[in-house]
Amino acid sequence: MNQLTAAKPMSARAKSWLRMRAIARRHAYVLLRSPHRLFDVSLWPLVDVLLFGSLAAFVGTSGSTSAAKASGYLLAGIVLWHVIYQSQIAMSTGLLEETWTRNLLNLMVTPLREVEYLGGVALFGMVKLVIGVGVMVLGALAFFSFRTWSLGFGLVPIVAVLLVVGWAISLFVMGLVLRFGTGAEALAWGVMFVLLPLSGVFYPTKALPTLMQPLALALPTTHAFTALRSLVDHRGSDWSQLTIAAVGSLAMLGLAMWFLVAMLRTFRKRGYITRYT
Amino acid sequence: MLEARGLVKDYRRDRAVDGVDLVVRAGERVALLGPNGAGKTTTLLMILGVVSPDAGAVTICGFDLAHHRSQAAECVGFAAGYLPLTERMRVREYLRLYAQLYGIAEPNPLIDEGLERFRIADLAGAMGTELSSGQRTLIGIVRATLHRPRLLVLDEPTASLDPDVAQRVRGGLLDLCDRDGTALLMTSHDMSDVIQVCERVVFLSHGRIVADGPPEAVASAYGRGDLEGVFLHLAERHEPTGAQQSDHP
Repeated sequence: MNQLTAAKPMSARAKSWLRMRAIARRHAYVLLRSPHRLFDVSLWPLVDVLLFGSLAAFVGTSGSTSAAKASGYLLAGIVLWHVIYQSQIAMSTGLLEETWTRNLLNLMVTPLREVEYLGGVALFGMVKLVIGVGVMVLGALAFFSFRTWSLGFGLVPIVAVLLVVGWAISLFVMGLVLRFGTGAEALAWGVMFVLLPLSGVFYPTKALPTLMQPLALALPTTHAFTALRSLVDHRGSDWSQLTIAAVGSLAMLGLAMWFLVAMLRTFRKRGYITRYT
Repeated sequence: MLEARGLVKDYRRDRAVDGVDLVVRAGERVALLGPNGAGKTTTLLMILGVVSPDAGAVTICGFDLAHHRSQAAECVGFAAGYLPLTERMRVREYLRLYAQLYGIAEPNPLIDEGLERFRIADLAGAMGTELSSGQRTLIGIVRATLHRPRLLVLDEPTASLDPDVAQRVRGGLLDLCDRDGTALLMTSHDMSDVIQVCERVVFLSHGRIVADGPPEAVASAYGRGDLEGVFLHLAERHEPTGAQQSDHP
């Protein structure tokens, strides 16, 4: 009896989990064997915490109450910003890696389902997120004596919202890459630079130009960072802001999933796989 | 095993595949032939579920590809001479990855057996980037056959291979098909591949099937001594200036 027939049949769920782990492991090899990719989860987070921590230290020297507040906003803001950044980049570059190395066809002819691929990339993305944000938390502590965890359990729902937003943006970027090719990859990074100022990561959105404020308020990230500032100001969790952020982030995720499915359909319909063979 | 009915695919203003009906039975070894642009690769990509047909349907191992792609894909293995190995992985890691995508939790014995079949067991620890193109092709075929597919689809499996390596590929494929009863559907521009491996040839021209049968019968129907002659005849007709000429014998 050969190996296959001797093996105990696996349930569909067990196969799905096996495939997701296989994809996660594949991306672990990419990270471990490309030293420059390690910068994404080590050096760049550290540079960011150094930059914004130094700004915070400088602002904080003026001694006023608002200066002390701004100092806390800067450090807490940059650490939490990396939750979106790391989750988004990990997912987007997961697909981009397959296009850069012309590996898409290899994967698409296997029984791997799209949702399993996303699950595998997200699984490894969580590892990168923990490493990247962990480096920042430790950097903030070592360089600026900023204890991120002193903000308390109120951070948990904020992190969850930011994680969902990061995933939603990455699904949107993936859809654009499938539709327009690797030329759309600039968006993987570019979209973050648009979101950063509009979300009021370091300041209340009242500080934005009046024209931009309605746009900022439409973003779930804006409400998540407003809730973060409430924690920094020792006012406890702002549940109304968190609710708006949670609903907005889930709506954004649903929209991004719909977009990705539509772009995947177009990808198959127009035979865009030939771009990567 | 494979049943494709009425496949049609248009790319912009060109019709790449125009009503292809193709049935491959269990254990059958079929070559899909035709000049460049005849629609071979598009047909294969539709059979693999990577490109959606504009019309028609594909059933593999009883699974309708449009609705049960994942289950259908479990029965199929695919390799192409032009596909790279997944980067930054050693050969064994690479084969393990794909075995797991096919639902094999402990693939090491199958990996050893597959590498041994093509006499490349010494490559198990090599990085993909260290391999020659011929070695990469062999590893790709091992990957495609790890899960003992009931249908093996190969696009130009011996392209750019040295004659001795191509011969090893042909021998390995015949061994696999004989032992496991695997059906084979392959494209090739090398007629010696076709003669040695396949018992049936299907010629495509302008996206349509213009001949289907045993190699000798097809050559004879076109009044040619061999498949090479049929191929050249169809390639001449495939030139833009010859588009009005009949592709049929």
